[in-house]
This record gives sequence, C-alpha cells and structure tokens, in this order.
Amino acid sequence: MKTVLAQIVPKLGDVEANVDAHLEILGRARRQKAGLVVFPELGLTGYTLKDLAEEVALDPASDPLFRRLVAGTKGLSAVVGFVEESPADRGLFYNAAAFIADGRLVHVHRKVFLPTGGLFEEAKFFAQGRDFRTFQAPFGRAGLLICRDFLQFGSSYVHYAAGADLIICISAAPGRGVGGGDVFETSRMWELMGEAVSYFSTAFVLYANRVGSEDGVTFAGGSFVFAPGGRLVARASPVDPELLVCSIDLAAVREARRRWLFKRDEKPEAVWRSLERIVRASED
Amino acid sequence: MKGSSVPPKINAPFVEKVLVAFIRDELGRCSCRKALLGLSGGLDSAVCATLAVRALGPRNVLGLIMPYGKAFPKDVRDAKALAGRLGIRHETIDIAPQIDLYFAAHPTTSRLQRGNKMARERMSVLYDYSVREGGFVLGTSNKTELLVGYGTVYGDLACAINPMGDLYKTQVRRLATHLGVPAAIRRKAPTAGLWPGQTDEGELGLTYDELDRILYGLVEGRRTRRQVIEDGHDAAAVDRVLRMIKASDFKRTLPPIAKLSTRTVGHDFLYPRDREG
Repeated sequence: MKTVLAQIVPKLGDVEANVDAHLEILGRARRQKAGLVVFPELGLTGYTLKDLAEEVALDPASDPLFRRLVAGTKGLSAVVGFVEESPADRGLFYNAAAFIADGRLVHVHRKVFLPTGGLFEEAKFFAQGRDFRTFQAPFGRAGLLICRDFLQFGSSYVHYAAGADLIICISAAPGRGVGGGDVFETSRMWELMGEAVSYFSTAFVLYANRVGSEDGVTFAGGSFVFAPGGRLVARASPVDPELLVCSIDLAAVREARRRWLFKRDEKPEAVWRSLERIVRASED
Repeated sequence: MKGSSVPPKINAPFVEKVLVAFIRDELGRCSCRKALLGLSGGLDSAVCATLAVRALGPRNVLGLIMPYGKAFPKDVRDAKALAGRLGIRHETIDIAPQIDLYFAAHPTTSRLQRGNKMARERMSVLYDYSVREGGFVLGTSNKTELLVGYGTVYGDLACAINPMGDLYKTQVRRLATHLGVPAAIRRKAPTAGLWPGQTDEGELGLTYDELDRILYGLVEGRRTRRQVIEDGHDAAAVDRVLRMIKASDFKRTLPPIAKLSTRTVGHDFLYPRDREG
C-alpha cells in the first residue's frame, strides 16, 4: 500500500485554509494511487492555539468543513488532527485524531497524555482523553496516538495487545538541541521509540510530524515509517515541508510474527493483573 | 573546568537552516518580504544581517547605520563594508542632532543615561523605517545579553522578531565563522557602543567564555549555585551572574497588568502571536 506522511505547515487558527490544504494533498495522493495519508497533530488548526482552541473546535460528525474533508477521502484513508467538541461533551475541547476511510468517519482518538510543563501547556486548554482503542481500517487493524501519547510507552503496548498491525502517531513535536547532526537532538527520541516499538510489537509504526514555526518554536519534522522488526522504511527532512511517500506491505506483520514470537507469547492478562494490583495499591 | 558547564558546540549549518526558515516563516505569515536592522559594525548585527539575506535575498534587507556624530568611525566603516559585501541597501543616519538637542535642554553627566537614550533613539528610527519600508525590525540580542540583561529596554531589545536570542555569544561567534562574517568584525572586542572605550567584557567584569559557561550551567544544566562553583567557577563571578539575571527579570517579560476583571490581557486572554486567517 502506498502511504503518504504529510509533513506540512498548518496555518495557525485558519481551519478553512487547512481543510483546503488537506484536500489538495488528498487529491494528489489519490492520483498517485495512495491508500493512506497521515496528517500531523492539529493539522487542521495549528498547534499553539491557547484560547483559540475553543474557537476552532468542531464536531467531526456534523461540521460542514469536516464533512467536506471526509467526502474528500473517497477511495483512500486519512488520519487527521483537529480540536474536537462533540455534542455529548459540550464545552470540552479535545486534541483529537480522526481516522477517515472512503468518505466515512471510522474512529476518533482523544489525546490522553497532554504535555504540560516547560514549553508545553496543553492541559491548560484541552480536556484529557481516557482511552486507547484499535479499530478496523481497510488494510488492517490500527491504533492512533497523538504526539506525547507515543512517548508514554504503555500506550503503544495497549494497541499492540489489541492486535494493531499499524500504530499511527501524529505529532507537533518541537525541535530542541542543535549541537548534534543535521537534525534536532530531540528527533532521536522519537526515532528510538519508533524503532523499538516496531521491533517488539512487530507492527508498522507511522509517525507524521509537522514543520514550520509558531511563536518562535520550530517543529522538528523528521516524519518516519518503521516496518515490523525495527526496519526504517522512510524518513523525512528535519525542517522542510515534504510529502513522504513510501510503500508498506502488511504481509510484513505476519512475516515478523512468524519469525519473532513476541506476539504469540504475549500475556496481557499477566500485565493486566500486575497493573491492577499496582493501581489498587496506589489508591490505598 | 569540568565539562558539565561548557556551552555545546552548535551544528552551524543546521542552525543556519533553522533560523533562515524561522525568518522566512515569520515574515511570510504577514505577507512581508522585507526586514531591517541596525548595523553597528559588530558581530551580532553582522550575523543577523547575513541570516536575513539568506532568508529574504539582499534586496529585501535594509541596514541602518546610526552613529552618534563622528564617534566609532571604524565601526561605521565596518558596517558599510559589510552591507556592501552582503549587497544590501544601507543608510547612514547620524543621531547626534536629536540627542544633542535633548541633552542641551536636559543635561546629565551619566554616560549610561546618554547611552540608553541613544539606544532608544536608534530604536525609534528603526521603527519609523519599519513603516516606510513595510518591513520587520530584526532583533540582534543574543542569549547571553538577554540572560544578564545587557540591553536597553525599549532600545536595542525592541524588535519584531529575534532570530539570535537562543544563541550564547560564544555560539554566535561559531555561527559567524560558518557564515563567513569578515574577520575584522569577528575579532573585534564586543561593545555596546554606549561610550568610547567601552567593552562588554570590561563592563560585565567577565569574559564571554567564562560568562557563557556559568550561564549554561545555570540555565540548560539547571545546576545550583553550589554545583556551578564546584564545576570550577569563581564564587564571586557566579554570584555576580546570579545577581545580573535576577536584576534583569523585568527586561525579559512584558509589564504586569493589574488584574481586575474576569478576563485580562496577558493573564487569561491568551492568543498566539502567530495566528492567521
């Protein structure tokens, strides 16, 4: 399956312009016969929203602009980052990722781990998601993560335990540290996790980060795809916008799981029992 | 001196790439292609001008050389030579008439007061030209200066964007070498040019090498006073740096607004500066 990671520069606070930009890329991807396009975290809104968060929030089931975007996925799938306010949770604003396939909204993930501290202040403006669920995509079982979710390694484990063939992380990760090579020093952190998770989950890991800068912070790009077994398939540039196109073959998941028996030998019930004991003890 | 407090080497080509993209992004967001800055003949403005040229092209960068009368003739020559070398437009504006007029009416013996007034006069000229040109004023204060407060509030600290503010002086020097800034500029003693014979290092009482090591330990290293001294720094120097940081907190923040209402600018009316649409 041809896969596109859209390493773009969203316009901060301009949902309409960003929907147009997403649609344009989806059109191009369709012409190139791509099966999946992954856009970055908050790609429909920009990242440094602060009080704008509630002004750009939308209900993916009813918002006209979002429906235009959903209609634009005829014949392919897309992962899109946006601010969600659903009718069931009025007044709560989630940093969210939607999986859309062939003109249909399939799944929404709400970011669970909201970085707040240092240069991050997400929990000040967003409500917290509380769940990780996999879902059936046209090409396999998939799980979504948003940026910091991916660095809390239990998140990937949950998707893995639920049988994900692909773990898809969308991100707006700023770059920090310029003393290393031709990338930000923090890019290593993401790749290290991508490599390790793909290695031990024997699943694909897709990581779509954005570029550009907002209020002085430069986003670090470096989007990547790892195949099962920790094999780097493709990596985008650290600063420039790029449509990273690569081909992934889901048969690799089966191959990796035949060769490495991590998945067969996994014992989520043992992990669950242990976690339950730890959580109970911490509540006492 | 232990390695824990040495400012890291920068990957200068990568830093150039990031800062050029930053300048282009920030201006592009406002559909602006032009930038202007004060050219002092010193290192920081030379580096900033070079980055601006690489981001916007020489025709979109204006350098203003703003001497006080005939003071610092060598710096004026270096600034003009730099502008010529970069192929940017430049104008020389003598600020002596307005400064002399003011101090004739309001005399002072304070060199600092005169220096600050000149820095604010240069800011005033830059912002006037910002409107004439339809361009952004680029700030040239580096991280060392920002941390110890070595700049004039509403003077040289004033700008639309600052590409240099997260680079220590010693790192600016490395970037300057990479960017091909002429040796005549790279090798001269850094000065704020507030009065003849003034040098930064003389006034700060520390070399930039020493100052940057101490700052790096305190800031990025998050080390305590005691740990920085254990790293091999003179206790009096560390205390002096800590005092300078504390005394200049006000230069790194916007003025506090007295909160009265349920939603207040700066407190809980919070919008990004870079929003579009």
